[in-house]
Amino acid sequence: MKVERQALTEKVSVLKSEGFDYLVKITAVDYVSHVDAIYIMRNMDKNVDEVLEVEMDPSDLWLPTIIKHHASADWYERELSEMFGIEIKGRHARRLLLEKWDGKGSPMRKNFVWGEPYPKS
Amino acid sequence: MSITRVNIGPIHPSTHGVLRLVVDLEGDTIENIEPHIGFLHRGVEKLVETRMYMQCPPYMEKIDYVAPMSVDELYVAAVEKAMGVEVSEKAQYVRVVLLELQRIASHLFWVGSICNDLGQLFTTFMWGFRDRDMVLHLLEIATGQRMFYVNMRLGGLSRDLPEGFGEKTLELMDYLEKRLKEYENLIEKNPIFVDRMKGIGRLSRGDAKEFGVTGHVMRASGLDYDVRSERPYYVYRKLNFRKQYHLSGDNLARYEVRIMEIKESIRLVREALAGMPEGSAAGMPIKLITPNAKNRIVMESRENPRGEEMIYLVADPQKPYRLSIRSPTFINLAALNHMARGSRLADLFSIMGTLDLVLADVDR
Repeated sequence: MKVERQALTEKVSVLKSEGFDYLVKITAVDYVSHVDAIYIMRNMDKNVDEVLEVEMDPSDLWLPTIIKHHASADWYERELSEMFGIEIKGRHARRLLLEKWDGKGSPMRKNFVWGEPYPKS
Repeated sequence: MSITRVNIGPIHPSTHGVLRLVVDLEGDTIENIEPHIGFLHRGVEKLVETRMYMQCPPYMEKIDYVAPMSVDELYVAAVEKAMGVEVSEKAQYVRVVLLELQRIASHLFWVGSICNDLGQLFTTFMWGFRDRDMVLHLLEIATGQRMFYVNMRLGGLSRDLPEGFGEKTLELMDYLEKRLKEYENLIEKNPIFVDRMKGIGRLSRGDAKEFGVTGHVMRASGLDYDVRSERPYYVYRKLNFRKQYHLSGDNLARYEVRIMEIKESIRLVREALAGMPEGSAAGMPIKLITPNAKNRIVMESRENPRGEEMIYLVADPQKPYRLSIRSPTFINLAALNHMARGSRLADLFSIMGTLDLVLADVDR
């Protein structure tokens, strides 16, 4: 299901009240022309998944936080902002989650420039 | 009272890998835990974007090095779905047998290491590892390797089960069943073990859902969701798989769920071996594969020993365009702060031990 990012928080809240109260995963895909954020929610009683897709322009990457509705979104959102350079609005900026480097760029974007391999001695 | 900040790790015997925890204490009570992960981050998801489909399984196996076959199988199943490849019935049975053996090995490893964490040094640890090694020996007979098998092929496996494998497996299952009774006597009747597990690290049913935990952590809190029964793959429906769960949500409940799961796996292995059809389980040799992914977006879930592992795959014809892995330990670790807050510092490692972390799976 395609969702506008302005309506995302409300959509997640409505879905939660309909029983989709288990967040399986938040991820993103860089299609070069646009970046899609993917939210996978689950209704455990009915055993169905709902996939929300939020399309973003690569020059304007931001998402509203859904941490109010799902505590489990915390680490997923941090991973997303680190790997894709997506700014998550409405929550505190936190230190990097996975990367222990100070390199530039967002590793999971397609325009990421790979570093030089270690020289052979 | 003032807050004392304690740093644990990144190298620490009880973290079972490289994990750093910054713990805020008030006296002896945990106020807040800040896990620092990423020391084992290899960028697998990025790496596989540069590889052909069947070059990826070795990378997938290193994601969960305690149960490598389960992640390998998940990846191959996702690629099969993208390419529209059917798995023969014989291969389905063989995969279930091997996956359940892998689950038993992984759980036995955990039983040994949790007792090690709680101070039952060596006896239980050695017992767990000895019995796990016997299961690994069976897997070696079936695949040629003790660990990192890379035996999954599109539509089947690298080779059929060798002759006599069934009898050897049944023998080991009988043996393990006897051993489990001894485990119960040694572990569950030990007052120190029970005192350090009962009522510690409680996670309510609502919080389990809110924090998105999965696997035995979720089922110990009363959320009876198991992918093998809710969305049965392969022959689990035919084998009448029964999900195991508990209601109390504490450390002991997580331990009991896992012991019940070992028993259920033993039953599944026996039943699958009895119902094994004739035919070949061999899949396509790697050299003969002409990749042709038809379905562009594929989602595949598996109940791995540590919980529900999911792959979100955007498929190009030749190689993965984007492969996103939902790792169970990542999200279980994220709930650690909530579970351990208010407990004593000494209980932190028993709580963390019951989560069964594999840091390579957390960091990917």
